[in-house]
Amino acid sequence: MKLRADLVQLYRDVHSWVGIVAGLFLFVAFYAGAVTMFEEPLQSWASAPVALPPPVSLEQTPLLLEKALAAYPEARDDYTIAVTPEDAQRGRLTWDGSGGQVHHGPTQSMAAGLDGQGNLVVVPKTPSEAAHFVDVLHQQVGLPLPHTQAMVLMGAVALLYAVALVSGVIAYLPALMKTLFAVRLGQSVRKRWLDVHNLLGLFSLPFHLVMAISSVVFAFHGQIFAVEHMLFPGSSAGQHGGQHGGMHGGGHGGGGHAGGHGGASGVGAPSVTGAASASSAPVSSPAPVPVSVPVLPPTEILSIMARQAPGFVPEVLNYMQLGHGKDVVRVFGHDARYLTRGPTGGFVVLNSHTGAVQSGEYMPGHQPAKFAIVTTFFALHFGSFGGTPMRWGYVVLGLAGAFLFYTGNQLWIVSRRRRERESGLVVETRGTKLLAALTSGCTTGCVAGISAVFCAVPLLPYGGTYGAVSAVYYSVFCVFVVAAFCQRGQRGIRLLLAAAGGVTACVPLMLCLHGAHLLRTPEGLGVALMAGLLSVFLFASAAKHTREI
Amino acid sequence: MSRTVRKFSSKNWFFKVLAAVLPGALLVGGLMGVVGVLCHTDGSPRSASGQYLMWMAALLWSALLSVCFLFRSGLQAWGVLIVANGVVWGLFVVLRSVLS
Repeated sequence: MKLRADLVQLYRDVHSWVGIVAGLFLFVAFYAGAVTMFEEPLQSWASAPVALPPPVSLEQTPLLLEKALAAYPEARDDYTIAVTPEDAQRGRLTWDGSGGQVHHGPTQSMAAGLDGQGNLVVVPKTPSEAAHFVDVLHQQVGLPLPHTQAMVLMGAVALLYAVALVSGVIAYLPALMKTLFAVRLGQSVRKRWLDVHNLLGLFSLPFHLVMAISSVVFAFHGQIFAVEHMLFPGSSAGQHGGQHGGMHGGGHGGGGHAGGHGGASGVGAPSVTGAASASSAPVSSPAPVPVSVPVLPPTEILSIMARQAPGFVPEVLNYMQLGHGKDVVRVFGHDARYLTRGPTGGFVVLNSHTGAVQSGEYMPGHQPAKFAIVTTFFALHFGSFGGTPMRWGYVVLGLAGAFLFYTGNQLWIVSRRRRERESGLVVETRGTKLLAALTSGCTTGCVAGISAVFCAVPLLPYGGTYGAVSAVYYSVFCVFVVAAFCQRGQRGIRLLLAAAGGVTACVPLMLCLHGAHLLRTPEGLGVALMAGLLSVFLFASAAKHTREI
Repeated sequence: MSRTVRKFSSKNWFFKVLAAVLPGALLVGGLMGVVGVLCHTDGSPRSASGQYLMWMAALLWSALLSVCFLFRSGLQAWGVLIVANGVVWGLFVVLRSVLS
């Protein structure tokens, strides 16, 4: 393959400038993204245990419901029943205790159980926000901004990322074909960074292409749907419920089910109100049922699910009262055989009085083909397919992605230094210095900050409110960045790498001290092992790092 | 052969990128309209066609931003994209009135 030299040069320029602008944001996004693959186990580990008597059986749940709804009528509109024993440990019955207010504080929910005498016990339940914080960090490429602004900037970064991929392929692929597997370790540092960067980049290219395009979609879906609505105003599309449902129904499901189902419910709720109101028009609308008819008990719902969708494992039942006989129950769960739309699973919407399926568009394995294809795009972003091996694959790809951006920045710095030295400069220019400090500060700061969050979790009230964990993260991050500017040169970088390694090494220790139950699960062991390996890697880089060109 | 082969360069990148961002986005909107009319979408985000259009838009815009550097100058980039906008939006209006 031979491309014109000027074309290759053009895309080389584009690649290096686009890469340098987006690289550090992408590092944070990929590193935090790799950590979010463990969002559920980390969330349940970090959350304080709920002081409830042992959960009632599913057969007994209607009794619990009756007592709880009599005492707390406000729960009637939207309550959740945990199906799996692990979830039930944190409250068989839960509902939103914040009175429907959306705020950035701890999302408090109420959990109810029955004691030995059959008396109602209700306790507030405040899940830890640590894992959710890392998810937000991932979504907002590390920017502590309001969500709307952060999403626009994230979209810009995603577009730069797409351009960097295309330009990288055009500029380097022809030359790369010749030296594909060559990693010239013995030669100059620049060549080593270049070879590692190329090898990583080429072999994770499909992954990166999927991530780039899906991130553009995540960032701009609101605007794109607004344009669609303007183009085709005849539809019922404008409803905002539908808008977010289409996108976020299975989108970043926040805290997942483990933490009292807050995330999934919060993000998914509009979608189903949309599903129930919008899709009841085209789908034959069930005749309104008088409100006096009781809703089906959980056991009945589960047997309907087992009959209609064998293989689907229900985890959570979310009863919602929408009025006009349209009350629904959303059955969240997963099916190991299929790709799922959200990070942790899909859901189906049933009429809670009759058990009739109202919307199966997000139901793994029961989607119409055209929706199943769209689901693939989402699942490829979340890694929500193929079970545990694929999740681990995504962790490795995510960390490799973060490393790719780090090598890219290093490459830029090293080549610039070389050019400056060749042109006779003795001192580095300010740009090179700035970028060198930013690269080492932001990358080690991000790694250390996230590790610090999980070290701090057992010490923070409620396992870390959103404000507390972001304070921990950003103070560590800022300390590292400031340190990188104060302590320049090889010693500074080595110090930062060692410090990040030290903080990361504390994570497995903290898990041993405070999370014995997490370490008994394969995910928990994996997290501890991964953190251990990462700290060893950071220490090794600290020992070996050299600024030579 | 008096005419030299024109050389690609990253000069003038700002106006080329600006063209891909502003008229480029408008063009992607127009293409969404044309494709949407042709496949009779109702534009609802909950419909499959609405979703596909969204993914198409993201893909097209990323692609346009990647190739905008191939324009000879910023002026040419703006010119071409504005003309393309005229064509695409014209087509959209015609198709919409014919097909609906």
